[in-house]
Amino acid sequence: MALASVTELSFAYPGSIPAVRDVSLELEAGEVVALLGPSGSGKSTLLRALAGLVPHFHGGTFSGSVVVAGLDTRTHGPAALAGTVASVFQDPEDQIVMTRVENEVAFGLENLGVPPEQIWPLTRAALAQVGAGHLAERRTVELSGGELQRVCLASALALEPQLLLLDEPTSQLDAEGADAFLSHVARAECAVVLSEQRVDRVLAIADRVIMMEEGRVVLDAPVAEARVWLSTRRPRYGGGLVKVDPSPSVPLGLPVVSLDDVRFAYGSGPEVLGGTSLVVHRGEIVALEGLNGSGKTTLAKIAAGLLQPASGFVSREGRATYLSQDPGRHLVCETALDEVALGVNGDQMRAAAALERFGLSFATCRHPRDLSSGERERLGIAAVSVSEPDLLVLDEPTRGIDPDRKAALSTWLLEQAESGRGILVATHDPLLPAHRRVRLGQPLEVPVAV
Amino acid sequence: MSPGPATALLAAVATAGFLIDRIWALAAMTLILIVVCVRAPVERRFIYISGALFSALGVIVISPLTWSSGGGTLLWEGPTLPVIGPIDLSTDEIQIAVVNGLRLAVVALAFSAYTLRVDHDRLVSAAGFARRSALAIALATRLVPTLERDAAGLSEAVRGRGVELHGARGYATLLSPLVAGSLERATGLAEAMEARGFGRGGATRAPRPPWASVDYVALGAAVVLVGVAARWL
Repeated sequence: MALASVTELSFAYPGSIPAVRDVSLELEAGEVVALLGPSGSGKSTLLRALAGLVPHFHGGTFSGSVVVAGLDTRTHGPAALAGTVASVFQDPEDQIVMTRVENEVAFGLENLGVPPEQIWPLTRAALAQVGAGHLAERRTVELSGGELQRVCLASALALEPQLLLLDEPTSQLDAEGADAFLSHVARAECAVVLSEQRVDRVLAIADRVIMMEEGRVVLDAPVAEARVWLSTRRPRYGGGLVKVDPSPSVPLGLPVVSLDDVRFAYGSGPEVLGGTSLVVHRGEIVALEGLNGSGKTTLAKIAAGLLQPASGFVSREGRATYLSQDPGRHLVCETALDEVALGVNGDQMRAAAALERFGLSFATCRHPRDLSSGERERLGIAAVSVSEPDLLVLDEPTRGIDPDRKAALSTWLLEQAESGRGILVATHDPLLPAHRRVRLGQPLEVPVAV
Repeated sequence: MSPGPATALLAAVATAGFLIDRIWALAAMTLILIVVCVRAPVERRFIYISGALFSALGVIVISPLTWSSGGGTLLWEGPTLPVIGPIDLSTDEIQIAVVNGLRLAVVALAFSAYTLRVDHDRLVSAAGFARRSALAIALATRLVPTLERDAAGLSEAVRGRGVELHGARGYATLLSPLVAGSLERATGLAEAMEARGFGRGGATRAPRPPWASVDYVALGAAVVLVGVAARWL
């Protein structure tokens, strides 16, 4: 008998078109299922339906049925399903309840009514299972994103669920953090459904692949069969991302920003940058690489003029703009049009043209927070590029985006470089096109690596 | 020290701050609270301590100018302004301003010490009743640094587009997105909590270490402090 069965599930959030349409599938105990698909394809909604959060937490129009371990989600809400089902969401910061790690892991056990004498042993075992035993007494605010997400995984595993649901849990992590996280997931002793945009990594640990598009399941197959299907029909998901020629089509121009022997430390903390030099020319894409904490974001902000170095020399020609990590969180105006117009002194004509360029004309009068995550990201890029800056600085622009959007972003970056703009990208993504890759944390500059 | 007695002691300090009107006693409490707060991690304590002290300083500097006590020695007589009236400065006004400023410092620093030094998790866990309310207070307390980080992110995003924010009016434009962002966070957190069984009934509590003698001393000191402040200070 299947652990979970979804039968003809359709669901629409209040006031929206259906997010999931006529989905039927079964999940077996112990299998690892990779849930793939572009943003907005219904992956998160399906996971929330399996956890009972849809429709109990979100409301909306629900039809069909979802039964997990014999519990029908129409009559059993998420709190009743907790313990049988455990979830880890995309952003660890939005799911941390307590201030100390061990208390965070114990929180779910306390809610489930686990006998008090068993709570600390289960907590310690769960933390050890994800390699986070040493974090037990740390404050959650002091942890890195990778550590925090491992604590979230420990909190879920501590409940000893039969079904573990992971909604893009590595989207906020660097490559090393994502690998470590997924290796712990692979060792979980329960069924796992893992929604993920890092396709290669998730296929390596999956038994089965489900792909969704526009709310429907378009593929449900064992991983070997799925690899063939993906490589022929969705090559960007099948590890066959088409690499673009990164060679500049125009000769490199003059330097648009030069940093010489730059040093920086936050407050009285340790030095983040210790004598770093970098030049970005017009028409050039420079990728800044390095481990978390190597100073990529700091150097990017100094290049954009948002931070002043403690010592060293910075020379910038023309206008620079900066797109922060997770730009969808940093939208400040009441409409998409105003959001983009902010960067051009309220010029709504230019803002409207920029919205059209990014396929967001429909959103002109909508509140930015009413847009989907992908649309918010495009809005963020429109907002920093509308002023046609000489230097465009982007911080982790591919984090958490699907392969199709990543390809579109790559094409756009090449177009920007061809138009004579200097581009500096802090990234962990080796497939993002760049003319030069500069690795921080090591005195190493890798020439034309793509 | 256990969080319950520590919170009771800090609440007593804040209450005493309202009851006391002797400058030396208020100044001593302010100094002690600064010492307590300074033991928090450097990157967290700055905003709390500086916020408390600058607010207190604002009261001390500005409030004597905004009203006339009619007593004490007149030190300076300024112009008469519309709405506010005559601007002057007397020894009485300065003394009262210092008392009020120090009171504000004591209350703000007591809250800072609660935020920075008390283990809110154990406080929630120790709540014998109204555990949900205790959790709500703990989450609201944690919201302060989150809001601070979000505000910095929003400000940086705007500056990243080449737009400079000027003055209070400029930064006030960030208020609405800040509130919207915190509501989004709150919704996400509520969803995560429900998925982890919060509110389903029959909850247990992880065992906590029993109170030590210092906890009983702190509880007694809290009662004594309020009594002394009300009676003699």
